[in-house]
Amino acid sequence: MAEDILLGDDFLRQLMSVGEVDLLVAIPTYNNAGTVAQAIQAIEDSYQQNFVRDRVVILNVDGGSTDHTTETILNMNGRKAGAHRGITSLRTVHRVTTQYGRTPSQGMALRTVLAAADLLRARSCAIVSPATTLDSSWIASLLRPAYRQDFAFVAPLYTRTKFQGLLARNLLYPMSRAVFGLRIREMYSDEWGFSGRLATQCLDQNLWGDEAVRARPEAWMAVTAICSGMKCCQSFLGPKAPPPAGSGPDIVETIRQTVGNLFWCFETFQDHWMDRTGTEAVPTFGSDHELTAEDAPASQEKSFELFRIAVKQLDDILSSILRPDTLSQIRKIAGVEAGKFRFEAELWVRTLYEFAASYHRTVIARDHILQALVPLYRGQLYSFLQEHRASSLEEMEADSEALCLEFERHKPYLIERWKAKN
Amino acid sequence: MKDTIVQGLQQAYLNLFHMIAEFLPRLVVMLVIILSGLLVAYALKYVVRAVLRLTKLDRLSEEAGASRVLRMAALPSMTEVLSRSVFWITLLGFILVGISILNIAGLQEQISRLLRLLPEIVVAMLILFLGLVIANFLSRAALLAAVNAGYASPKMASWSIRFGIWILAIAMALDELGVARQTVIAAFSIVFGAFMLGLAIAFGLGGQGLARSFLERSLGEKKDDKTNELQPL
Amino acid sequence: MALQDDNLWYKDAVIYQLHVRTFCDSDGNGIGDFRGLTNKLDYLQELGINAIWLLPFYPSPLRDDGYDISDYTSVNPTYGTIDDFKTFLAAAHSRRIRVITELVLNHTSDQHPWFQEARSSRENPKRDWYVWSDTDNKYHGVRIIFLDTEMSNWAWDPISKSYYWHRFFSHQPDLNFDNPAVREAMWDVMKFWCDIGVDGFRLDAVPYLVEREGTSCENLPETHGVIRELRKRLDSAYPGKMLLAEANQWPADVRDYFGNADEFHMAFHFPLMPRMFMAVKLEDRKPIIEILEQTPQIPDTCQWCIFLRNHDELTLEMVTDIERDYMYDAFANDKAMRINLGIRRRLAPMMENDRRRIELLNGLLLSMPGTPIIYYGDEIGMGDNIYLGDRNGVRTPMQWNGGWNAGFSSADPERLYSPLISNPVYGYQSINVDSQRRSEHSLLSWTKSVIQTRNSFQVFSRGSIEFLSPSNHRVLAYVRQLGEEKVLVVNNLSSSAQAVELNLQSYKGHIPIEMFGRNLFPRIGELPYLLTLAPYQFFWFRLRRI
Repeated sequence: MAEDILLGDDFLRQLMSVGEVDLLVAIPTYNNAGTVAQAIQAIEDSYQQNFVRDRVVILNVDGGSTDHTTETILNMNGRKAGAHRGITSLRTVHRVTTQYGRTPSQGMALRTVLAAADLLRARSCAIVSPATTLDSSWIASLLRPAYRQDFAFVAPLYTRTKFQGLLARNLLYPMSRAVFGLRIREMYSDEWGFSGRLATQCLDQNLWGDEAVRARPEAWMAVTAICSGMKCCQSFLGPKAPPPAGSGPDIVETIRQTVGNLFWCFETFQDHWMDRTGTEAVPTFGSDHELTAEDAPASQEKSFELFRIAVKQLDDILSSILRPDTLSQIRKIAGVEAGKFRFEAELWVRTLYEFAASYHRTVIARDHILQALVPLYRGQLYSFLQEHRASSLEEMEADSEALCLEFERHKPYLIERWKAKN
Repeated sequence: MKDTIVQGLQQAYLNLFHMIAEFLPRLVVMLVIILSGLLVAYALKYVVRAVLRLTKLDRLSEEAGASRVLRMAALPSMTEVLSRSVFWITLLGFILVGISILNIAGLQEQISRLLRLLPEIVVAMLILFLGLVIANFLSRAALLAAVNAGYASPKMASWSIRFGIWILAIAMALDELGVARQTVIAAFSIVFGAFMLGLAIAFGLGGQGLARSFLERSLGEKKDDKTNELQPL
Repeated sequence: MALQDDNLWYKDAVIYQLHVRTFCDSDGNGIGDFRGLTNKLDYLQELGINAIWLLPFYPSPLRDDGYDISDYTSVNPTYGTIDDFKTFLAAAHSRRIRVITELVLNHTSDQHPWFQEARSSRENPKRDWYVWSDTDNKYHGVRIIFLDTEMSNWAWDPISKSYYWHRFFSHQPDLNFDNPAVREAMWDVMKFWCDIGVDGFRLDAVPYLVEREGTSCENLPETHGVIRELRKRLDSAYPGKMLLAEANQWPADVRDYFGNADEFHMAFHFPLMPRMFMAVKLEDRKPIIEILEQTPQIPDTCQWCIFLRNHDELTLEMVTDIERDYMYDAFANDKAMRINLGIRRRLAPMMENDRRRIELLNGLLLSMPGTPIIYYGDEIGMGDNIYLGDRNGVRTPMQWNGGWNAGFSSADPERLYSPLISNPVYGYQSINVDSQRRSEHSLLSWTKSVIQTRNSFQVFSRGSIEFLSPSNHRVLAYVRQLGEEKVLVVNNLSSSAQAVELNLQSYKGHIPIEMFGRNLFPRIGELPYLLTLAPYQFFWFRLRRI
């Protein structure tokens, strides 16, 4: 049943006009007037090239833009220049816009999208970002698996440069893979697809008050699908473009959102993952993910310094979170000189699992637990860069896989810590 | 003469006997009140303990850092502290009521003053407790933020906040109890004002250059941090 | 004698298209004739139509259903005599029904005496009446129209040992309109029929009259010159006669055939027709709106002719590849249903015998701007037979009753020119005029009533059109206006009930009166006008300001 409180009259009227659709692509926006037009055009191109007979809609959910983003969308001319014989697409392509709130929130944006998808009985949906330079083929890649082959969740897959997405590679992916048992690389991204059935199921779970869901709802949707036994897959899009320098949240906020969401998922779905062993690959459409070469980044000595200082200054806090032997090992490596510093995989895995367990037991405020993880991540990042500055792509992939297996091997430890009283 | 002395003694013993006879029932009543107070206090203690255990107060207190402070002070857990407090406050109340039955002149007034003070004592304890919790939480938040932002003296920031909130909480508690009100307000204003003035002078005059470079660094660093940081996702 | 009253009669016409062969057989030879047709004029009058378009009835070897003519000024003896035709014409006129006949300008049968003469030798005076070449390289690249049967636009004549040009079947050589004698001869043909009293001509295959090297040989300026000349002579000698162009082109290209009101009076709007079907199947008004947006203005005395089906395949020439594929998948899944670039099915089977959809499409046909044409048999929902070869599946005998040969002929069934439709769904036992006449609620009765309503208001035939754009794309709504007369037409193209809010602020204060039941609807106010429609329902509202 759709949530009707969040649907204003005008939005509802627009949905009535659209009627039942096969495909829905949503763009959450907030002050994206400069970039949203190319995204809309890419979606329309995709509809005309790949889904010409299907009933489609473009849905914009806006978080209170002050730069006339929604007007930009509504005023765009849909017809291709030069078309004067016959018609460019068989069906009307509706553009629906609504404001879901006065401040941007990923969770509230998604909730509005899910409500619309439910009411319009959309069979397949996709969320895309207006800040990404979209290719029309991306839209099709996200929509097709749910539309034609009954997949519930479609995660994107990218070509990445060597040193891109290290939080995902060294923490989010291996940890989520080990715990939930499915090898979905990009559970945290700005583009993903899902089926109407999953949309309805997520909408009915009244979890919108939870900050973890509001910040990064896409992973929650993926985990919901996994734990409900629905089919998940990955679909290759293309190169992941880096965001403009200086934009986006900093690492503290990123870890708060992503790792917080991940730990929250562990807790919410604990009945589903405790008994799972091993991991499975998910079907992949298009190419597999790829790494491309990249120059070594500027020295991250600062990260190491921050790690060292934090280990000293946060001793009290870390001792509430970590076991004494883990903490003493971390103290030990913090004392090593930068050139010789290594954050070994096993230590990293145990550290993360203890953080997860502490989060579960709320040994201190959960937000503080997440913030305490940031300098440790910085340390691990520094260690990783030291180790792989000159590695080949194959070596990096092998190392990545080895880390994943380490997480899997230590899953019983997570379960043990999870169930412990202190 | 002998008869007078005997009569006098007899009268004295009679008076004493009357006094005792008059006092004993009140003593018995007092003992009964205290005994029933004991029973009520125990009952309340168990009820409060059970309720607090249900609400997982210990966990909240652990999270807020209050439990650690209690441990440092060799006190038991928060649930235990509160339930015992309820026990003793209840018992004290009954004892005071019992004592008032004795009708000892001069004591009545003190007892009623004490009874009037009881709610304020409870509120003051609550203020202190909350102050403790808030101080712990905020100082920890400040510490984490400062460490993650790479500030030079994160512990200083953390302790400043903790100290400041403690001072505020103590002042508020004493104010609640009405203890040396004027003195406390004055002292609080002086201490806090001096602290702020000191910071202002340190930054404004003595540490101009330091303040400037600190601000530049903190603003500049933030930008540099962001541009230098690798894309995490 | 012709009807004289109104030179613009064709604007108000509701045309009934039929082939005399298919309608009614009076002499028991299994083939319809003019006497039989004459006997059925009462039925047509009752139906409410006021013009008949007759498919070719001239002498012909009948290798292209009569479009291969071997004598322009006579009647195929199978259908009767010239006198029978004149009797029919008089009877039609007495019922105020006009008659439009075919004039196949572009080509003749290879059995026509003109061609027989022309091919006899290169020196024959009529040689130049056709288009000859020693090689088949001339006019290279010109498209072939009958793709399923023809490999080239040139055919080898073994008698005169040269090639002759044919845009249609190889037994239909193209006339050479560069030759004044040809133009004169065709004018004589026209005069012949005008003198008899025919009211108008449908000119077949007009875009192809003239050829020029290096062009598509279609829609050339010289072709328009020929038409203008004919029109001038016609207006001068026979005012009030109508010329209807068969030009299967994009609207912008057909526009040229109206000229400055000095060429054709009417032309078929071919591109609109498949889009009406598409819109109902897609449940989206977009195809209709877009093609009409591309349709240019035409002179005031001119008129588009609109139709749902006709004797040919439902042509998909003037659609994009995407649209064509969609139409094939939607309406002609079985490849046997496809021919050339089209679909050889009737209206009712295409609509899966869904009465609501049949009514909706007819409602669109009768309310959109243009002169509507009803193909014989569609008013009772006749079916088709796709196994009859060529386009013959939509040319089966008219079904009058459930008895012997559906009341079409007294001949032996095996003698009929074409087998009857006899399956349980569309067969003559269930679909016939007599049984539908008995019911007020039959498709026939409904069609009568709708035609009558349309004929009562000139706004449908001569009014302007203003499309409304409600946000619900499944609803097609427009206002027809002629002077003070205004009609609001609202069509639900969808298979499910719909709600629609119409912006009728310009008509504030008007009272909508539903035209079939004549019931009043709430007055139009400031707010959007809310209507709810059942699946495939449509409304015609007269907007009255009182």
